[in-house]
Amino acid sequence: MSESMLSTKSGVDSRRSGAAVTSPSQAGGKPSGPAGRDRKSRGAEGARRHGTKGGKQGSNVLAHCVLSIGGLAMISPLLYQIVMSLSTNAEVQSTPPTLWPGVVQWSNFADVFTSMNFGSQLWVTVAITVVRVIGQVLLCSMAGYAFARMQFRFKGPILAIVLSIIMVPSQLFLIPQYQIIQNLGWLNSIAGIVAPGIFSAFGLFLMRQFFMGLPDELEDAARLDGANPFQIFFRVMLPLAANGLWALVIITVLWSWNDLLWPLVVTSTANAAPLSVGLSNLQGEHANNYPILMAASLMAMAPILIMFLLMQKRVMAGIGRSGLK
Amino acid sequence: MNHNVTRRSFLSFAAAGAAVVSLAACGGNSAAGGSAAKAAYAAPAKDLSAELSYAIWDAAQKPAMQKIVTEFNKQYPNIKVTIDVTPSKGSAYWTKIQTQASSNTLPDVFWMNGPHIKLYAQNNQLMPLDGLVSGKAVDTANYPKALVDLYTVNGAFYGVPKDFDTSALFYNKALFKEAGVSEPTSNWTWDDVKSAGAKLSKFYQGKGVYGYAGDLTGGQTSYYNTMIEAGGTVISTDGKKSGYDSAGSIAGLQFWRDLIESGVSPSMQQLTDTASSDMFTSRKLAMTMDGSWTVGPAQKALGDDLGIASLPKGPKSNQSVIHGLANVIPANAKNPAAAQAFVAFLGTQDAAKVQAETGTVIPAFNGTQDAWVKSVPSVDLSVFLDLAKDASPYPASANTAAWNELENTLLPQAFAGTKPVADVAKDLASQMNAALAKES
Amino acid sequence: MKAQTLTPASKSGRAAQATGERRKGKSKSVGWWPWLFVVPTVAGIGVFYLWPIVQTFYYSFTKWGVFGGTKFIGLDNYVRMFADSTIPQSILNTLIYTVVVLLGIPIAVILASLIERPGLRFAALYRTLYFIPYITMPAAVGIVWRLIYNGDFGPINWFLGLFGIQGPYWTSTPGFALLAVATVGLWMSLGFNLIIISAGLREIPRELFEAAEMDGASRVRQFFSITVPLLTPSIFFVTIVTVISGFQLFDLLYVMMGKANLAMPQTQSLVYIFYNQAFLQNDKGYAAAIGILILVIIALLTAFQFRIQKRWVNYV
Repeated sequence: MSESMLSTKSGVDSRRSGAAVTSPSQAGGKPSGPAGRDRKSRGAEGARRHGTKGGKQGSNVLAHCVLSIGGLAMISPLLYQIVMSLSTNAEVQSTPPTLWPGVVQWSNFADVFTSMNFGSQLWVTVAITVVRVIGQVLLCSMAGYAFARMQFRFKGPILAIVLSIIMVPSQLFLIPQYQIIQNLGWLNSIAGIVAPGIFSAFGLFLMRQFFMGLPDELEDAARLDGANPFQIFFRVMLPLAANGLWALVIITVLWSWNDLLWPLVVTSTANAAPLSVGLSNLQGEHANNYPILMAASLMAMAPILIMFLLMQKRVMAGIGRSGLK
Repeated sequence: MNHNVTRRSFLSFAAAGAAVVSLAACGGNSAAGGSAAKAAYAAPAKDLSAELSYAIWDAAQKPAMQKIVTEFNKQYPNIKVTIDVTPSKGSAYWTKIQTQASSNTLPDVFWMNGPHIKLYAQNNQLMPLDGLVSGKAVDTANYPKALVDLYTVNGAFYGVPKDFDTSALFYNKALFKEAGVSEPTSNWTWDDVKSAGAKLSKFYQGKGVYGYAGDLTGGQTSYYNTMIEAGGTVISTDGKKSGYDSAGSIAGLQFWRDLIESGVSPSMQQLTDTASSDMFTSRKLAMTMDGSWTVGPAQKALGDDLGIASLPKGPKSNQSVIHGLANVIPANAKNPAAAQAFVAFLGTQDAAKVQAETGTVIPAFNGTQDAWVKSVPSVDLSVFLDLAKDASPYPASANTAAWNELENTLLPQAFAGTKPVADVAKDLASQMNAALAKES
Repeated sequence: MKAQTLTPASKSGRAAQATGERRKGKSKSVGWWPWLFVVPTVAGIGVFYLWPIVQTFYYSFTKWGVFGGTKFIGLDNYVRMFADSTIPQSILNTLIYTVVVLLGIPIAVILASLIERPGLRFAALYRTLYFIPYITMPAAVGIVWRLIYNGDFGPINWFLGLFGIQGPYWTSTPGFALLAVATVGLWMSLGFNLIIISAGLREIPRELFEAAEMDGASRVRQFFSITVPLLTPSIFFVTIVTVISGFQLFDLLYVMMGKANLAMPQTQSLVYIFYNQAFLQNDKGYAAAIGILILVIIALLTAFQFRIQKRWVNYV
């Protein structure tokens, strides 16, 4: 059921939200609804939808050339980083550059553990990410739902003000936010790192966009069955917005994992700090020891890279969708 | 290493943290301390029972500190001292300390440095320790005068010196030998170092090896020293006026510009890309001016090729800036008697000897530095001590960070030659004076 | 951080768009129910985001001492700001940075149209390769790029050296430094732009291409007469994202430039100056005035983009 709902959704929403692009369902004249399922599921399958056109295969050689050279260029900094993390400091600074270390220095990775509290910082990072994702998904989806599908006073002005915040550089919030957290006594705590991030104007907007694209029928049916707005939201509408939730989860995980300035300001003990802060402190201490810096930053990025590789279809679909609105 | 207050930590976001915290700190707890310490200190009863926290930032020194605590406990068995290392040095430590200051939870005893002492002392965050002096528990004559001056703010003595560092001339014997240039002596002048540097740079031309350079991304181990050697100052002794526009200061800055212009030193851009200390340890630099904390890493990288000489003499003198740490007590100490007893002990000769044995820092207590000098037998480390005798205090004011930032913004243009040194120096002096005026 | 700020910022663009086509009658909600849904988030946003902006506005009219204590000084901070020559220079820097990163959009369009070719093998692999930079930690890759750009032993200058070219000290030479930083910005945002544009591409009905093919239109011609025009909404979206994130440029400068950098005046952004004044020089009142200037510029730019979008964005 939810599968067909999803496809329903995409068909409807591209029309409803005045989708910028002609959606296949419109162009093809297909009615929106469960029947559109096979055509609408986007993401990785999307490429196939263009059909398996025969000819012109030859010109794909050029495409492969361009794409593979470009792709290699894109990840070459990371490859370079891997090589550096396995080299000696002298090799890093040698000319011509070292393409592969003479002796692979696995010890650089071991040294990271003695240089920073990697374990506890990983735990903090995971904890703040989980809390922030859960909090944001819950709060933003509720608020986004209300802004999309409910009427209340001052809705327009409130929305306009909230959205304007999305554009403001985060550095501007730093001092006042710090003072609030300090007054709450949340310095050096997961609560303190997470608190401002749970409330997200962007998340609210993203979820509002997704909810606006959902069909009315199921909501109406549930209402006729006597369900209250909470029940309608949690049982009917939220499951329908799964794609939007995924987009929000992915983006929030990225921000939370990589965020540096805020956690650095609110945490002052090494055990309460997340990996991003640990990494920047490491840079202060071992400014000259490139291999250890490279190894540490690889280790800090690894969980998120692995997660991405495992879930890349959803990530791509989620991010791609966020731009279609 | 930890003493390098001007270290290039290009990710010093923590500075922001410190600044934010200091803001939040404003308001509360002012003028809390003082009264307790004015009276002469009398050692508390030996059976005093207390728990103290001691915050430090250098994990490498923790064993030595622990050993000192053990010695201390022979006198005061019931005072339990917990050492709290904030493993990330420098700025993160200060973020933490300032956070604690803002919430009145400062550790009972903690490390202090030059750029921060006035900030904390003038903001009534520290307990004056004059009582320790008048009570004969601490004798300021035991420490280099410049350090005592550094930790004396508005006539009150706030920190018992722990250790110190000075700068000297580091050189690579192998590079000198290969080029057939005679090695530096402690009698060298600016002209000597310039001509030797020129010969070296010429000999190694095209190989990426240079004669002489200093870390120009901060003044402590480079232009602060030459400015003083040429008779200039960084800041007036009362900390109210910039010294950058004096003729001596300009000459001290011009020295580095001349080195770059003549190709003796790598360019300003190059020194931003790769730190001079990195170039020295990777044998790309024959001579460098650097701090005493570099001895360990340099010796590790170069072995017996490492040579050390006193600073080349400038037009007026050969002088180094001296910087050092001190142990301080917060103004609203929870247990002032026990904290003072511990700080007094930290300032003793016994405690200093324990530090000297570690070989990482030069203990501040006069006469105990020999162990450090002996820690690297292949070079004569006593030059750092000789330089300390006549050293100039580390330049600082209440908001040192503000004009350090001005130095970092303006001086690179002078060193790179995009603007005349004298113009930049005068511009810097007037902007620095404006910043200093805001402090009061 | 920069890469992440891309998306949220962008949303505002869509916001106005969506608000424009406000949906008709959904007045199904009664009484206090909507508030139950809305209040937690709106209150949090008010406290943690709106209030700071109000405070910033207030502080921009004050002198804020090192140890606190604010004093109302009227327009002094603003007067000083308009006399400060580093401000227009930093706006120019930001513009140059943004223009370079914007070059990533045509690149992304070309790459996306290659990747989304019907039946192209390894399309998923290519998407992954291009997307990975977007999810890397800016603080971490900043160091890697510092090494890559290193004038003495960095691979770029070594490569140029093979052709007898003496490369500059990229991150510390005025002019080149901004280019170097912007290239990293482009590198980090390309994957995001590519995914958005790919998604837009897949929305273009295949029938259009088939018809064009029957008419004998070449691939290149199809690209310019079908792909690009029908992609303009996606292009508009990523343009807004890029422009707004360009004006938030900060992290890359911080990680890549280091202190006492000769090139800083020709590279620093407005946000960087804000940060510098607020947190390094402890001049928070002046910083607040710069913060307000940043807000005004971003608001103007966004309004401008929406005004001109009607001229070139095809909404079918």
